[in-house]
Amino acid sequence: MTDVRTLIDPLGLWPRTTRLAGRAEHAALGTGERLLLAVVDRAVASGLPRQVVDRLLDDGLAEHIAERVLTDPGFEQRAAALLESPQTGHLLERVLDSEASERLVAQVLESRLVDVTVARVLASDELWTMVDEIARSPAVTEAITSQGAGFADQVADEVGARSRNADAWLERVAHRMLGRPLAAEAPPGTGLA
Amino acid sequence: MSVAARLRARRVPGAAATVAPPAAARTATAPVGYVGLVTRAVAFALDAAIINLVALLTAAVVVLALSVIPISDALRTVTIAIGGTSYVLWVVGYFVVFWSTTGQTPGNRLLRIRVTAADGGRLRPRRSLLRFVALTFAAIPLFAGFLLILVDGRRRGLHDVVARTVVVDAPGGRHG
Repeated sequence: MTDVRTLIDPLGLWPRTTRLAGRAEHAALGTGERLLLAVVDRAVASGLPRQVVDRLLDDGLAEHIAERVLTDPGFEQRAAALLESPQTGHLLERVLDSEASERLVAQVLESRLVDVTVARVLASDELWTMVDEIARSPAVTEAITSQGAGFADQVADEVGARSRNADAWLERVAHRMLGRPLAAEAPPGTGLA
Repeated sequence: MSVAARLRARRVPGAAATVAPPAAARTATAPVGYVGLVTRAVAFALDAAIINLVALLTAAVVVLALSVIPISDALRTVTIAIGGTSYVLWVVGYFVVFWSTTGQTPGNRLLRIRVTAADGGRLRPRRSLLRFVALTFAAIPLFAGFLLILVDGRRRGLHDVVARTVVVDAPGGRHG
């Protein structure tokens, strides 16, 4: 092996050359990166991106693109396929089961933002207007009425059943006292007691 | 039902357990269920509560209104007389109107019972009034008039016999 290497590279320049090439590549990348950053900085400082975004929005290009994407018949299918795919489900399950998401939810719930939001919602007139509307809606009032009527019916049924039992008992006692036995026993509410 | 059959029914209480509907009510397929003393007493107590609650509230409003108006003793007596008469009219009207219209007072409706004529028809106002007067008389001798319900084959009290009425089950709570 040594003989072959000596034969190809008698002066031993190959390792130096590769090292040199590596350094040159590193230097070039660093320079390119710096150059790119400088260009980006200049572009941002010049307000070019904002102008581009403004231009896109003014021309309606973004809307056009969004419209084209949304009206594309395949888009809906692809979106549905993506949502229904098992991978998406697994991914979602993993995200939801992760401790990080638990921590995130706990942080959000404990944050002052939630308290402030709830306080604002409770203080808003719109909420109470909506609650009033719901409370006055025919469906809700009908449900409450039917529930109340159902309860009243239940109470009436129970009282009626007990009073009919008492009818039967009292009449048995009366007949026993008078020495006139009842002709037949009948269940309460059938007219015999 | 013939007179003899009626007498037999009275002699053997309870024999008319599930009596065939009277002529006017023959369309009904279910047998008539006559209602006993306790159920009727509960219904009557509910009616009495409603009557007295309304009367008390009305009286309270009238008394409060009169308390700020200085009136003479004579006028006070007249007011009391008017109040008493109104109360009697209210009580009589309550029963007569309900018996002769739906056949059910609110208390009856809650207990699912109905007052009908002996033939199953609706009571006329005059007969309702007669029933109420008879009911008052039945209550005078320590409610002895009501004890007849315990031994009568069709569970009729004195007032039912006098007014020729019966009290029957009304499962649906509606007048049929």
